[in-house]
Order: sequence, then C-alpha cells, then structure tokens
Amino acid sequence: MDIVQKKKIGLIVIILAIALSIPLFVTKPYYIHVITMCLLWAYLASSWNLFCGFAGQLSLGHGIFTAVGAYVTIMLFNDFNISPWIGMFAGGAAAVLLSTLIGYPTFKLRGAYYALATVAIGSGVMVLIENTMTLGPFHVGGAEGLIVRLMGNAPAYLQFMSKVPYYYLALAMLVIVVVFSYWLKNSRLGFYLSALKEDEDAAAALGINVRNAKLVAAAYSAFFTAIGGVFYAMLIRYLEPMAIAGPMMSNEMVFLAVVGGSGTVFGPVVGGITLHAISEVIQFYFSDMAQGLHLFIYGLIVVFVIMFKPQGIIDILQKYYNRFLGISDRGEDESSVS
Amino acid sequence: MGAIYGLIALGLTLIFGIMRIINFAHGALLMLSMMVGYWIWKFSGVNPYLMIIVVAPIMFCFGYFVQRVFIKPVLDAQKDVREPIAVLLLTAALAIVFENLALMVFGADYVMAKTTVTDATIALGGITVSAARFYALILALVIAYAFYLFLQHTELGRRLRACGQDRNTALLMGIDGPKTFAIAFGIGTALLTVAAIVLLPFYYVHPTVGNVFMTKAFIVVVLGGLGSVPGALLGGIIIGLIESIGAQYMTATLTTVVVYLVFLLILFVKPSGLFGSRLEW
Repeated sequence: MDIVQKKKIGLIVIILAIALSIPLFVTKPYYIHVITMCLLWAYLASSWNLFCGFAGQLSLGHGIFTAVGAYVTIMLFNDFNISPWIGMFAGGAAAVLLSTLIGYPTFKLRGAYYALATVAIGSGVMVLIENTMTLGPFHVGGAEGLIVRLMGNAPAYLQFMSKVPYYYLALAMLVIVVVFSYWLKNSRLGFYLSALKEDEDAAAALGINVRNAKLVAAAYSAFFTAIGGVFYAMLIRYLEPMAIAGPMMSNEMVFLAVVGGSGTVFGPVVGGITLHAISEVIQFYFSDMAQGLHLFIYGLIVVFVIMFKPQGIIDILQKYYNRFLGISDRGEDESSVS
Repeated sequence: MGAIYGLIALGLTLIFGIMRIINFAHGALLMLSMMVGYWIWKFSGVNPYLMIIVVAPIMFCFGYFVQRVFIKPVLDAQKDVREPIAVLLLTAALAIVFENLALMVFGADYVMAKTTVTDATIALGGITVSAARFYALILALVIAYAFYLFLQHTELGRRLRACGQDRNTALLMGIDGPKTFAIAFGIGTALLTVAAIVLLPFYYVHPTVGNVFMTKAFIVVVLGGLGSVPGALLGGIIIGLIESIGAQYMTATLTTVVVYLVFLLILFVKPSGLFGSRLEW
C-alpha cells in the first residue's frame, strides 16, 4: 500500500468521522433537518446521475420516480399497514417497472427529443396524480396530497420523533449510492454507458446493446430515486403532488448534479450538498426582503456555474484533491472527469 | 387559442431550427413580455394591440442580449458536443431567474389588461366569438405569414435558414454565425411578444403563466416538426382544437393528459413531425 492510497483512505475516514459526529455538535432540530435535506438532495442527484450523468441522457422527468416510490410505499402503509421498510422495495420495484415501460419507446429518441419526452411524461404523471382521489382500495388524495399516518416513535415503521435517526439514514443512503456509483462506473455496464455517451452509433457498431444498457442503468437510477422519494415522504410526512412529482423536483436533481459535475462519482454529492446548503442559506436570509429573491439568486448561481465551470464544481475540488495526494493535475484518478 | 399556441411555437421552432437549442426559457420570456406589455398599457392606457410596436423591439433587444451574454459562451464551449445539454440546462436556469425576477419586480398578483375588447363579441355568420380571441387569431395568422415571407424572401431570412441547414457551410459562405444566432433569438422573442400582447386582453398574467404555455409550445413544435414554420402554426391549431373539442366531452385535466398522449405518440411514431425534415434524430 503506497502513500497515495493511505492518504485516500485517511481522507475517507476523516470525512465519514465528521459526517457521523455532526449530530453531536448540531442539536437544533431545524439545522439537523436542513443538513438531512442536503444529504437527501445529494442522494437524489447521485441517483439521477447513475443513468443520466453516466450515459449523457437528459431526463427532466425523474420526479415521477420519487413520486411513484413515495406514493406506493405510503399507500401500502396507510391502507394495508405494511411497514415502509418493506414497502419501499415495492415502491422501488414499481419505479423500475415504470422506468422500463417508459424506456422501451423513449430510448430510441435522441438528445432534445428524449428530454422533451421526459418533460411530457413527467407533467402527465403529475396531472394524473393530482386528479386521482382513490385507486382501487387505496386512498391517493388527488391535489390535496396524502398525509402519512403518524405512528409516534416507531422505528419498525420508519418513523422517529427525533430528526437524528433520519440524518443517519440519509447519510447511509448517500454512502450506499456513492459506493454503487463507484462500482457502476468501473463495471462493464459503466464502460458501455460512457461509450454510448460519446457516440451512440459507434457504441452500437462495437456490439454494445445500447438499449439494454440504457434500460438497466435507468432501472438502477429509478430504484434509487424511488427510495429517495420514500425517505422524503417519511421525513416530511406529507405528500403533495406538486412538490414530489412536479417540475421543481425533477429539475432540481438535474441542476444539483450538473452544478456538481454530472458523470462523475462525487460530483452530484458535492453539488447536492453545497448548492442545497447555499439555497437554504439564501432562503433564510433573503426570503423576507423580496418575494422570489432567493430563487433568483439560486438561478443565477446555476447559470454562472454552467457558463464558467461546465464540468461542475468537482473540477475545482479535483485540483486540490490531486495536490493533497501529491500527484499531478492530469493524474490517474477514479473520480476524475473522464 | 390554437393560433396563439402556434405563434408561441413559431419562436421556439425558429430558435431550435437555427441553433439546435431547445429554449426552456421560452415560457418565462413570454411571461416577461406580457408583464412589460401590461405595465406599459397600465401607465399609458393606449390600445393594447398598438403596444406590439413598442414591446416587440424591447423584447427583441432583450432576446439578442440574452443570447449574446448567456447562451453564446456556453454554445461556443460546447461546439464539439453533439447534443448541447448544458445549453438546455442554462435556459432552464434562466427561466427560474426570469420568473423570480418578475415575482420580485411585479409581484405575484394575477393581472389582466381589461379594455373594451375584453368583453366584446363579434357575430360571424351566426356564431358569436369573443372579439379579443378573434383579433388574436387574425393577428397571429398575419404575423405568421409575414414571418414566413420574411424567411423565404429576404437576405436576412436566407441567412437564418442557411445557418439552420448547415452551420459550418454557412460560416464558410461568409455569414456571421454568432450575430445571426443572436438575431434569431431576438426574432423568436419578438414573435413571442406578439403572442403575449394578443393574450393580454383576455388572459391573466402572473409570474408562472409561462409554464402553462411552454409545455404546450413544446408539444406543438414537435407535432409540427422541429424547425418548420407552417408546422408550428398547424400544430398549434391542432392542439388548440383537441383541447376545445376535448373539453366538450371530458374534464379539462383529462384533456391535458390526452394532449400529452398525442405528443408521445407522435414522438414514437413520427418524431420528425408533420412537416419535419428527414434528418435523423
């Protein structure tokens, strides 16, 4: 084990130690909530990135997967008393099914057409949810939204009175999705995806089954996104179609991932945490001054990052990271933008 | 209504056809035009339709500026990328900026330019139609036809079309690409202004009004064929008809779902749209 590897492991241990000890220092529930939301958004951006970042597809309709995951889980919980711990896998499975159903026809569309199709599907699903009061034995709630049945402090039902368990849960989810991203990027499928990102026809000519590669990656992405939706539902305890399936949900994931650096393992994490933290801070300080000011600033930040740092802020961090490891800027590294 | 969809889609299709950018800020720009138009009307009290002369040049300059300052650098940086996703995201982020700028400056109220036109009706061979909507239809058709003639028969129109057909060849022929793009963006925005102004007398303005029209404009553009001028207009009228006929038989929300379904069907069956070129997508 050389020095570079030791430094890498050291860095991971330090970051994890800081992350694990945050609830010891931060005790106000509001701050814990904000930090948890940062982690959740980092998680969602990473889930989006699993397919869209690695394969270079612009999906602007990922909100349907958070919605399907959350709604299926919560409906099973509210009406059949099935614990969200189990229900979330049903929600994830439903999202995978949906993603495959959507994927079959849409994956032959290229670039802008694919993006437009996802916009249309996303809006369509949101309208459908808003106008469905009941579905068979389930209560859906339509535009009123769906309230998660309160159980008190019930870990078996994924409900806690304190915010701290949610924080650790979000952290665990984030670690899982990052490890998964790392594995995916260096797997055979990951190589397929980066090949078809560069040139779909060339990838197909080399014998890659482009559609299958996309379907599998999209299924992973949908599953993780759906689990994120379940977590969101359990944290907020209220499902509003506009918030969980609306364009803001779908677009936010994309912004965070792109600002951080799409197609990289750590980019969406960095983007999710920093950008969401910034947006919370400006919302806290500026929302009283003028309506919409915080979103205005937020939009400007996204615009400027896309204009001046199209590789994402991970690109800046990469330089410091390389210097820390003592390797040259263009050195071999798994999190580098490839 | 359909003709207005067409007019909005016309600007979108122009921008796409020439720059290969899907402009997600289109709805926000429509809203800005409506806002600017409304406030000029409010303070001057002139006939709303006359305001096209004032607002259209303002919005043309604004569109030109947006393209020059924000979109061009990103477009240049992504010259070699086949599908400029960053530009799409940039326009989506710009949409957020514009919407919230409007929210800050103009507030969240629903406003409408109520004039004598608003409630007037016109009898056309036994059918009574709302005057504002009738004028909107006429203006939309006239402007669209004028725009079509402009594209076909003027030097600038030829230049725009040349850039749309083959950017590199057009550059080799001595066309100033970036300038043409900026003009195209400006014209697209100015066309929007016309739609915005004819909407003013009978449609409420608020900071998120753009979203209502933007998704539909996308659908219309794809239906008509991305980059096609007659396609945009016809597509707009088709979508308008589906909506108003559908509204007779089912709830408004179901109609929306039907419109989305029609859109997806077209994407899958004939992505090039009704008038689309045979380019591979």
